Amino acid sequence: MTAITLAVPSKGRLEELTRDWFAHRGLTITRPGGARSYLGAIEGLPDVTVRFFPASEIARELIRGNIDLGVTGRDLIHETSEAGPGSVEFVRNLDFGHADVVIAVPEAWIDVTHMHDLADVASDFRSRHGRWLRIATKYITITRQHFAKAGIAEYRIVESLGATEAAPASGVADIVVDITSTGSTLAANGLRVLEDGVMLRSEANLIVSRTADWTPERRQTLDALMTQLGD
Amino acid sequence: MTNAAYRRSQLESLVEAQGGCRASPPLLLSADPYFDLAGEEFGRRLLLTTDVTGAEYCLRPDFTLPIVADYIANGTGEPAAFSYLGPIFRQRDTGPAEFDQAGIELLAQPDGDIALDQVLTFARAALSIYGITPQVTLGGVGLFEALLAQADMPEPWRPRIRHRFGHTEAMDRLLARLEQAPDLPRSEQPDRDELIEDITARMVSAGLSLSDGRTPDEIADRFLEQQALDAAHVPAATLRLLREFLAIKGGALSALRQVEALAEKHRLFLGPPMKAIRRHLDGLGEARVTFDASFSPRLDYYTGIVFEMRGQGGTVLASGGQYDRLLERLGAKAPIAASGCALWVDRLEAEWPK
Repeated sequence: MTAITLAVPSKGRLEELTRDWFAHRGLTITRPGGARSYLGAIEGLPDVTVRFFPASEIARELIRGNIDLGVTGRDLIHETSEAGPGSVEFVRNLDFGHADVVIAVPEAWIDVTHMHDLADVASDFRSRHGRWLRIATKYITITRQHFAKAGIAEYRIVESLGATEAAPASGVADIVVDITSTGSTLAANGLRVLEDGVMLRSEANLIVSRTADWTPERRQTLDALMTQLGD
Repeated sequence: MTNAAYRRSQLESLVEAQGGCRASPPLLLSADPYFDLAGEEFGRRLLLTTDVTGAEYCLRPDFTLPIVADYIANGTGEPAAFSYLGPIFRQRDTGPAEFDQAGIELLAQPDGDIALDQVLTFARAALSIYGITPQVTLGGVGLFEALLAQADMPEPWRPRIRHRFGHTEAMDRLLARLEQAPDLPRSEQPDRDELIEDITARMVSAGLSLSDGRTPDEIADRFLEQQALDAAHVPAATLRLLREFLAIKGGALSALRQVEALAEKHRLFLGPPMKAIRRHLDGLGEARVTFDASFSPRLDYYTGIVFEMRGQGGTVLASGGQYDRLLERLGAKAPIAASGCALWVDRLEAEWPK
């Protein structure tokens, strides 16, 4: 078997930019059934099957090795599993979808400008307020890893699947970990990014799974595709 | 008989023989107390599930918390001893998430030193069932706290330094920051009332509750304290003392002599915690014992002496110590002496017959 699977984000701006990026390198991704179809192809490369998936599923399936290569955000690889970054290889930075995963605190917290301030605040938060410092985020894995590295253990994560920036005002959490490209949404909600508060710089990447079954024949198909994409 | 089943039954007998109550807490426990006690760092290791109301449960990830919580719920005060052997569940990088743990918990014992002796003896006996003479690492939480209390530094720095004990990188970053602290002229402190007014206005405009989380007073006070701290340096000599102390690690006897020399040089009185460590050293017999001045679990309820026992490959087979602040953290009204240890049974079984 020589066929490999390329996963492409299934909708919106990310799909458009991905197809543009490939087109710019002479590879036309077709989607014969239109937006309701999840199967596509690359003209002239019959051994590459294109599948359209939501970006977070692409991350998950790359890590598991169920698809061979795909386009998704670096943040999603880091978030999906602690083993994520080790299970894949980032082969091309596609230079779009730039966003940072950051730690932001209420702007009124004038005493907290760095992670070490947050460590101090977290350490006696419980004795002052009878509960842990609460962090709203959808980036649970990234937050836990980053805080462990910073030596901060005294906090609780409140999972937030939308409008994370509103969590402090609604009383759900004290601070947030969120993704931002300009910081303007955070600022509009009275939040300030810590000076050393960028946990991860993310962008769209072409990513190859390390856990997929790479027979020599399939590896050859991949190499041919990569050659077409140039260096 | 020298097979695995026989060793297991010997371990069973040892656990039974601890003269206390054999504890078997439920397998399914409320997850909240674990997050409350150990935070997200431990929380990521839990195997979680949810009931129909949305309440979170976890598969028993250790025995200490349910045993101690149960003891508190039944009224504290009486000395109690518990032992256990059974499955626990944790997410691990390698190996199955279900594995056996054995251990003892000695609560409210009249003499904490004797209790720790019993814990160490139990751990040694369990390891010897598997033919293991361990490498023991001792850490002195009490020793570090005594040193910190006497070291010359502005008061607010003490809890900040204590908080990083046991996390080598975080401690190193803090000490490096203190060492590089620029000699800024002390700027004039802003007026506290004006600060509070300013912070209150910012919080109100962002729609933040003034009472639910950090209050304007708290933020202003910490801001002022921070400014004062930037001006109030930890003396360079103290920073050198901390660095030198934390770097002490090696064969227990020579390491302890280094601690004593350091204490003498800096005129620190470390008699009682040093005596306690030496006393337990005598009880450890022929095991190779290392003293590591920077060694401590990252949980702030540990006190006194902590230990780890490792096998040939360097894997931790037993760990424990004294944790007199644990019961208070779980709702007891006053500190209650507690010590114990946990054994990684699957790792013990893997050591045989190396």
